Amino acid sequence: MKTWQRSLLIMAGLLMVCGTAAYAQMAPDPPAGEFPYTGNRTAVWIVAQLHILFAAFILGAPIFVVISEWLGYRTQDPRYERLAKEVTKVTVILYSMTALTGGLFIFVLLATYPDFTTWLINHFFLIFAVIYPLLFIAETIVLYLYFYTWDALKGEKKARHIALGVLLNVIGTVTLFVIDGPTSFMNSPGKGSVDISIYEYIAQASLWDKVYNYSWMPLNLHRLVGNVTFGGFIAGLIAAYMYMGAKSERERSYYDWMGFVGNLIGVGALLFLPFMGYLLAFELCDYDASICPYMMADQLSMFFEMQGAMVGLIFLASNYYIWLSMKRIEGVERVRMNVLTVVVMVTIPFLMTWVWTMFPVPNPLSLAYLIPLAIAPAVLPKVLPFLRKFTVSSRTVIKVGFLMVVVGNAIWMTPHAFVATQALAEHHLELPSEWGFLALMPAKNSAAFTLVFVTVINYILYNRAIRQGTIVWGKIDFASQFVLIFLAFSAIWTMGLMGAVRSLLRKYYHTYNLLPDFTAESYTPTLSYSGWWITAITLTFYIVVSFAIVLTLRPADAKEPVAGGEPVPAGAK
Amino acid sequence: MSQQPSVLKNVAIKGSGGLVIGLMLAGAAYALGFPLIFQAMFFFYAMLGAAVFMLLDAPALKPISGVKAVAALVAFYIVLSSVYIVGASLWPQYDPNDEKEKIDKLLSRRKAMTEEGKTEELIARAKALSEKAEALMSRLESAGVKGVDAVAVSMPKSKPKVSGGDLAALGLEQWNLQECYNCHVISLGQTSEKKKRGPNLDNVGTMLTAEQIRKKILYPRSLMAEGYEKQFKQKKGRMPDKYRDLMFEEEVDALVAFLTTLKDDKADTPKVIPVKE
Repeated sequence: MKTWQRSLLIMAGLLMVCGTAAYAQMAPDPPAGEFPYTGNRTAVWIVAQLHILFAAFILGAPIFVVISEWLGYRTQDPRYERLAKEVTKVTVILYSMTALTGGLFIFVLLATYPDFTTWLINHFFLIFAVIYPLLFIAETIVLYLYFYTWDALKGEKKARHIALGVLLNVIGTVTLFVIDGPTSFMNSPGKGSVDISIYEYIAQASLWDKVYNYSWMPLNLHRLVGNVTFGGFIAGLIAAYMYMGAKSERERSYYDWMGFVGNLIGVGALLFLPFMGYLLAFELCDYDASICPYMMADQLSMFFEMQGAMVGLIFLASNYYIWLSMKRIEGVERVRMNVLTVVVMVTIPFLMTWVWTMFPVPNPLSLAYLIPLAIAPAVLPKVLPFLRKFTVSSRTVIKVGFLMVVVGNAIWMTPHAFVATQALAEHHLELPSEWGFLALMPAKNSAAFTLVFVTVINYILYNRAIRQGTIVWGKIDFASQFVLIFLAFSAIWTMGLMGAVRSLLRKYYHTYNLLPDFTAESYTPTLSYSGWWITAITLTFYIVVSFAIVLTLRPADAKEPVAGGEPVPAGAK
Repeated sequence: MSQQPSVLKNVAIKGSGGLVIGLMLAGAAYALGFPLIFQAMFFFYAMLGAAVFMLLDAPALKPISGVKAVAALVAFYIVLSSVYIVGASLWPQYDPNDEKEKIDKLLSRRKAMTEEGKTEELIARAKALSEKAEALMSRLESAGVKGVDAVAVSMPKSKPKVSGGDLAALGLEQWNLQECYNCHVISLGQTSEKKKRGPNLDNVGTMLTAEQIRKKILYPRSLMAEGYEKQFKQKKGRMPDKYRDLMFEEEVDALVAFLTTLKDDKADTPKVIPVKE
C-alpha cells in the first residue's frame, strides 16, 4: 500500500470514528412517543376536546340546576326540584369523567409535547400548581356536599342548600376563568411595544399580565354562555331519553315538561352565543389583524361555512321544537299577532344589512336604527290603535319565521367564493362584485340577528299560547324527542368545530407569535379530516353521557309523584 | 293547530313549490350574473325551505319504546354522523401541503437556532461525515484503479452574494410567507379589480423610500395611508405590529427590496402621512 493510500485510509478511519462518535453524542433523548394512527396532535385534540365537553357540562349544568331548585322553592312546583336533582345526579357521574379526562389530558400533553408543556406550566406555575388544584378540590367538596345534603337540607333549610348551590357555581365560574388564563394566553399572549419585543415583554410580565390578555374575558364570557347552552341541551337530551323510556303517562308528562325547560334554557342562552363569539373574534382581530383573514378568507374560511350550516340547523331545530310544542296547546288558534311583526321579520335582514354597511358596529347609529325597528311591533299598535286591527294567526307568524330562518341562514352561509382560500378565487367561483356585500360582516351580522329575532318572536308567541290556551304535557309529537337529541348532538358538534378553530388560530405556534411548533403536524388540517374527528369525539361523549343517564335515572328509579298527566291550565303553578 | 294534508300531498305540494321557487331564484341569479355555483346554492336553499315546510305539516310520529326506540336512536345517530361528516367533506378543502411548504420555509431558520435545531444540524453533519468516510473506504478498496482526484473532498463553497434581482425574488417569497396578500393588493402586471382592507401597493416603490417602507413594516404606526385615516384610528383592522419581532433582518431587507420594485404609476396606491408618535 502506498503512503498516500495509507494516509487516506487513516483519514477515512478517523472521519468514521469522529463521525460515529459525534452522531452518538449528539443524538437527542429518545423522541417523544408518537401516537399510532392519529399522531400526537390529533391525540391531544381528542383528549382535550373530550375534557372540555365534560367540563362544560359540569360547569354549565349547576347554573340552571340552582335556578331550577330556587324556582321549585319559590313556586312549590315539585317538577323544578326533581329536574334539579336529576340533572345533579348526572353531573356527579360526569364530574368523575371530567377529572379523568383532565388527568389524561395532562399525561398525553406531557408525553407528546414535553418541552412546550413544561414551558407553559412554568409561565403559569401558581395557577397549575396551587390555584387550579385548590379550586378543583373545593369544587369537588362543594359538589358532593350539595348532592348529598339534598334531602337533609329541605323545608326551612332549603335556602341553605340553594346557597350551597350558588357557592358551587361561584367556584365553578372562578375555575373556568382561571384555566381560561393559560388557554387564552396561547392565542393572544400579549404584545411588545416600540421599545421592547414580545419576548422581553413576556419575560418581565407578571402572572396577571399573562392571564389578563386580549382574549381572556371574551373567552370567559363565550364559554360561560356556551356552557349554559350546552347544559340546557343536555338536560333536553336527558328528558328525551327518559321520555322514550317512560312507562307511565305521569312520567311522560314530567319528561315532556323537562324537555321543554331544557330547550328553553338552551335556546335562551343560545341567543347570546353568536354575539359572544363575535366579541371573541373581534378581540382576537384587535390583537392581530392577520387573524381575521386567516379565519374568514384563508385556511379556516370553510370551517366558518360549516359553522353557519350548524347554527342554521340548530335554530331551525329549536324553532321546530316550539312548533311541535305549540301543536298540542288547545286554543292556540285564538293567538294572533300584529302584522307589523311579520313585516319587521321579513325586512330586518335586508334593512339591517344596509344600516350596518352605512354605520358599522360599534357606531352608535348602528343601534339607533335597530332598536326602534325591533320594538316597533310592540310599541306602534299602542300608539296608533288602528294598527291593532291588522293581525295574523300564530301559525302564519311561525311559518314566516321559518322562511326567514332559511333566508337568514342563506345570507350567513353565502361565501365570497367557493374556494378553500381566497387566494384561489376565480371568477366562476366568486360573487359578482356588486353583490360582494353579501359576504361581508354587516350581512352576516344581520343574518345572525334575524335568527335571534325570529326565535324571540316565536317564544313570545309560545308564551302567549301557554297563557291563553291549555297545554297537555306528555302528549307532544314523538318527533320532538328526536329534535331534542338532534339539538344536543349538533350543539356538541358545533362546540367541537369552534374549539378546533380557536386552537388552529395559533397557526404554526404553540403560543401565537411566541413559541413555534416545530413538529411536522403544525399545519391546518382539512375540514373533512376535522369533521371525522369532531364526529368521533361527539359520539364518544354521547356514549358516556347516555351511559350515565341510563345508569342514574333508569325509569324504574323514577318513582317520585308528579302533578300532571291530565290537562292543566298551562300557566298554573 | 289545523288539519294536515296527507304525506304524499304534503310532499308533492311543498316539493313542487320549492322546485318552482328554486328555479326562479336560480334564473334570477343567472340574470344578475351570479356564477353557476351560486345559482345552484340558491336552488338548494329553496329546496331546504321546501323540506322545512314539509316537516312543519308532517303527520305526528307515533311513540315507540323498548328495542325499537333504541334501534331508532342508533339509526338516528348514524344518519346524523354521516350527514355531518359528508357535509364537512363537501366544502372546498384547503390542501395542507401548500401550508406545510410555507411553514417549513418560515420555521427552518428559527428551528436551527433552537437547541433542538442545533442538535439536529450537528446530527445531520455527523451523518454526512460518516457517509463521506464510508464512500472514501469503498473508493480506497478500488484505489489501484482510481486516482486521487476521485476521492477529493469537496470544500464548502463560499456564500454566494445575493444580487438585487435575487433579493427582490426573496422578497416576493416573504410577501407570500408573511401573507401580506391577505390585506394588500399587488397586481404584478396582471389586471386586478380586487379591493382589500389595506392599501394597494402597486406603486409603493414610487410613493415611499426603502427606508420608509422598512419603517412601515417594523413600526406600522409611524406612517398612515391617505384615505385610511378611519382604519388607522380605530383599534380593529390595523396593520399588525409584530413583524419586527417575527422577521429576521435579512427577510425584512428582501421584502423591502421587493416592494421598492413596485412602481406602477397608474395604480391608486395612496400617499402617506407621517404620524407623530
